[in-house]
Amino acid sequence: MDTTPPADPRSSAPLLELRRATVRFGGLTAVNAVDLQLFPGGLYGLIGPNGAGKSTLFNLITGLYQPTEGEVLFSGHSLRGQRPHQIARLGIARTFQNIRLFSGLSVFDNVRVACNLHRATAPWHTLLRLRAFQSDEAAITAQVDSLLTLFGLQSFRDHPATSLPYGDQRRLEIVRCLATRPQLLLLDEPAAGMNPAEKLDLIRLIREVRQRFALTILLVEHSMRVVMDVCEHIAVLDHGTKIAEGSPAQIKRNLAVAEAYLGTAAPAIPPEEKSAC
Amino acid sequence: MPPRRHFLFLLSLGLVAGIACFSSGFDPYYLDLLIMVGVNIILAVSLNLISGHTGQFSLGHAGFMAIGAYLSTLVTVFWSDSLLASANEKLAGFAASPWGQNLLFLLALLTGGLCAAFAGLVVGGPSLRLRGDYLALVTLGFGEIVRVTFQNTETFGGALGMYGLPDHTSFFWVYATVACTLFVIGNLTDSTWGRGFAATRDDEIAAASIGINPTRYKIIAFVVGAFFAGVAGALFAHFKMTIVPTGFDFTRSIEIVVMVILGGMGNTRGVILAAILLTLLPEFLRPIAQYRMVLYALLLIVLMILRPQGLFNFRFSRKKSA
Amino acid sequence: MEQILQQLLNGISLGAIYALIALGYTMVYGVLRFINFAHADVFMVGAFLAFFLGQNLPANSIASTILVLLAAMTGCALLGTLIERLAYRPLRSAPTLNVLITAIGVSLLLEYSGQLFLGANPRTFPPVYPSAQLTLGGVILSGNQLLVIGVTAALVLLLQLVIYQTKIGAAMRAVSLNPDAARLVGINVNAVIAFTFALGSALAGAGGVLYAINYPSIDPLMGLMPGLKAFVCAILGGIGNIPGAALGGLILGLVETFVGGSEASTWKDAVAFGLLILILLFRPAGLLGKPLPEKV
Repeated sequence: MDTTPPADPRSSAPLLELRRATVRFGGLTAVNAVDLQLFPGGLYGLIGPNGAGKSTLFNLITGLYQPTEGEVLFSGHSLRGQRPHQIARLGIARTFQNIRLFSGLSVFDNVRVACNLHRATAPWHTLLRLRAFQSDEAAITAQVDSLLTLFGLQSFRDHPATSLPYGDQRRLEIVRCLATRPQLLLLDEPAAGMNPAEKLDLIRLIREVRQRFALTILLVEHSMRVVMDVCEHIAVLDHGTKIAEGSPAQIKRNLAVAEAYLGTAAPAIPPEEKSAC
Repeated sequence: MPPRRHFLFLLSLGLVAGIACFSSGFDPYYLDLLIMVGVNIILAVSLNLISGHTGQFSLGHAGFMAIGAYLSTLVTVFWSDSLLASANEKLAGFAASPWGQNLLFLLALLTGGLCAAFAGLVVGGPSLRLRGDYLALVTLGFGEIVRVTFQNTETFGGALGMYGLPDHTSFFWVYATVACTLFVIGNLTDSTWGRGFAATRDDEIAAASIGINPTRYKIIAFVVGAFFAGVAGALFAHFKMTIVPTGFDFTRSIEIVVMVILGGMGNTRGVILAAILLTLLPEFLRPIAQYRMVLYALLLIVLMILRPQGLFNFRFSRKKSA
Repeated sequence: MEQILQQLLNGISLGAIYALIALGYTMVYGVLRFINFAHADVFMVGAFLAFFLGQNLPANSIASTILVLLAAMTGCALLGTLIERLAYRPLRSAPTLNVLITAIGVSLLLEYSGQLFLGANPRTFPPVYPSAQLTLGGVILSGNQLLVIGVTAALVLLLQLVIYQTKIGAAMRAVSLNPDAARLVGINVNAVIAFTFALGSALAGAGGVLYAINYPSIDPLMGLMPGLKAFVCAILGGIGNIPGAALGGLILGLVETFVGGSEASTWKDAVAFGLLILILLFRPAGLLGKPLPEKV
C-alpha cells in the first residue's frame, strides 16, 4: 500500500475537505461533525452500516443538502450556498444509488447533455445554428462517441438509456459523469446488484477511470470485496459519526468497525459481502 | 451537412412566399381554414417546448396568446399613425408603400411576442421552482387573470373586446411565422444545449448533477414558448380583425394542451399533425360541434390510460426495431 | 367595530366552505401525491344532486336540508370512488404528469357533459333551508351562516375522529406515509385510496350544497373558481395537512371578505392568487407543512 498517491497529506493540499461537517434533520443528526480529507488522485472508500449517513454525506458534498454546522471545502473554497448545478460546474460529479439516467433520451444524448459544461458556444449560437455551433457540436459528438467506445457502449448508442441492462446503465452513469470532466468523482454504491463477475469488471473499470482521467474518486459501497480491493484509504461512518479511518488493512483490524457492523466486540473479521445488494 | 437546416428554412420561406402569390385565388373558406391551421401549429409547437420537451405542464397558453393579441394592437391601432408619420418624415411616401404596412405588422408581431415573453418571465420566475402540478394551477390562474384584466380594461374595449382591426394577417405571414417557429424551436431542442430541456424534464436532480440549472432551463422554455404564443395571438387578432376576451379562456388553453398530448409530448411532428387534425376535424364534424369539449376530455383520459406517448408518436417502437 | 365583527362572521362562513373543499384536495394528495383536478367538479355535482332532490322536497325545512345534504354527500362519495376506480387506478404506476392530465380530463368531462345534459345556463337553487336571522347587538347572524359553520365544524370533527380514532383512519395515515410499507403489513392500499376518495368527495358534496344554499345560482362550471381557491387554501395550510386545509380555508375566507368589503373590492378574486404566489415564494411547504428534502 506504499504506492498510494495520498500517502503523505502534506505533499499537496486536499482536493476536498470536510471540517466538522454536520447535517441535522430536525432532531436527527444524520452526519455528525465529520472531518475528512481527500487528496488529489486518491481512491477513497466510505463504508458503514445502513443508515450510517453515507448517502447524506454525498448529498452534502453535491449541494443537495447544506451543512447545519461545519464546512465543506473544494480546492480550498467553501461550498456553502452553492447549488447542485454550480457544484457540478466546479468539478464534482456523482452517480446515484438508484441509477438516475434520463429516461427520455438515448444513450448518446445522456452523455451529450453532460457536455454542456464545456460547450464553447452561447445559447444564441444554438438558436440560429451559426457556424461556431456546428463545429462545437461536431467536437462534442466526437468526444461522446470516443467515450462510449472506450466503455463499450457504442453499440447501444441510439437505444433509449433505460433499455440497457442494469450493469450497462451503471456504466453509462459513470460515463455521463466523465463527460463533465470532473476532478472528483463520487460513486454511490456502484456495485449494488452486481454478481461477482460484474464486480470484478467494476473494480477494473474504477481503476482504469482513475488512471486515464486523473481523477480523485470517493465511493460508497456495501460490498466489502470491492471496497477492500479497490480503495487505498477507507473511512467508516456509523450513526453519522466517523468511527475509523485508514488503509484497508487497518480497517480490517479495527475493533470499532467490527462492532458497528456486528453489534458486539467480536473478532474483527470484516463482514464479507454483508449485503448482496 | 452543416447548412442543411438553414437551407430547408430558406426553402420553406421561399415556398411560402411562392404559394402566397397565388393565395388570392384560393377559396376564402379554405384559405381561412389554412390560416387557422397555421396559427394552431405555432401555438401547439410552442406549448410543446414547455410541456413536451421540458415537462412543465402549463394551462395558461391562451393567456400568453391574449397578451400577444391585445398588445400587438398598440402598434397597429393605437400608435400606427404616429409611427407611420415619423417614418414618412425620414422617407417620404414610405407609409403608403406596402413596405410601410408590412414593417408595421412585423413590429406588431414582435411587440405581441415580446410582451408575452415578458409575462412568461414574470409568471415563470417564481412558479417554475415548484412541483409540476402546482405550476398547472398557477398557470391556470394566470390565464384567467389575464382574461379578466383585459375584460376590465376600457382602452382595449372591455368586455366587448376590439373591433375593426386592420386586416394584416395573410397566408404568407402565418406560414412564414410557422417556418420561423419550427426553425428556432427545432434548433433549440435538437442540440447539446437543448437536450438540457429533456434532461430537466426527465430528472431534475440528475440534471443538476451534471451542471444543468433546471430552473433556468424551465424559465427559458417558458419564455420562448410564451413568445411564440404571443406572436400567434397577434396573428390571430389581425386575422379575425376582432378580439373577444372570452376567446382566450380556459377552453382555448385546453385545446392547445390536447393538441400536444394527442401528438405526443416532445414529438414535434406528431404535434403538428395533431394541430392540423384538431383544427380541421370540427369543420367536418359540425353537426356534433357541441360534443367537442366532451370528446376532448374523453380523449385525454383514454390517451393517458392506453397510449400516454401520444397518438402520433412512433419513436419508441421504431427504436426497438432498429 | 360591529362592521368588523360582521365581516369576520361572513369571512368565517365563506372560509368554512373553502375548507370543506380543501380537505378533499389535501386528503387525496396525502395518499396519492397528486392534485385531483376533478375535485371541484364533484363539488358541482353535489350542488346539482341537491338541486334535483330539493325541488321535490318541502321548502324551508331543516329536515329537507339534512336529507339533501346526506344525499349529495352519498352521491358524491360514489362518484369519487367511481372516478378513482376508472380513471386513476389504471395509472397507479404512471408518471405524475399523466395522472394530472387524466384528472384534468375527468374535470373537463364532468363540466362539459354537465353543460351538454343540464344546460349551460345558471339555475336557481330551491330554498330548502329556512331563511332566518339572528341579530346580536348589531351583528346579523343569518341562518345560512349558522348552517355553514355548524355543518363544517361537525364534519371536520367527524373527519378528525375517523382519521385518528378508527382502524381505517390509521390505515390512511399509514398509506400516506409509505404505501409500499403499508401494503407489506397487510393494508389493502387500493381500498384505503378508494375510501379516501369517498370521504373527500363526500365533503366536497356537502360543500357544494352549502355553497348553493348561500349563493343560490348553480351551473356546470360553478366548481372552477371555488375549486381553485380551495386548492390555494390547501397549499396555504400545507398540502397533505388536514388542520392546515381548515386553517387555509379560514384565512382565505377572511382575507377575501375584508378585501371585498374595502375599496379594492374589484381585486377580490385576485387575492387568492396573490396569496398563492406569496406562500409559494416564501413558504412552499405551507403554514403548517414541514419542508421535506427530496429523497435521493
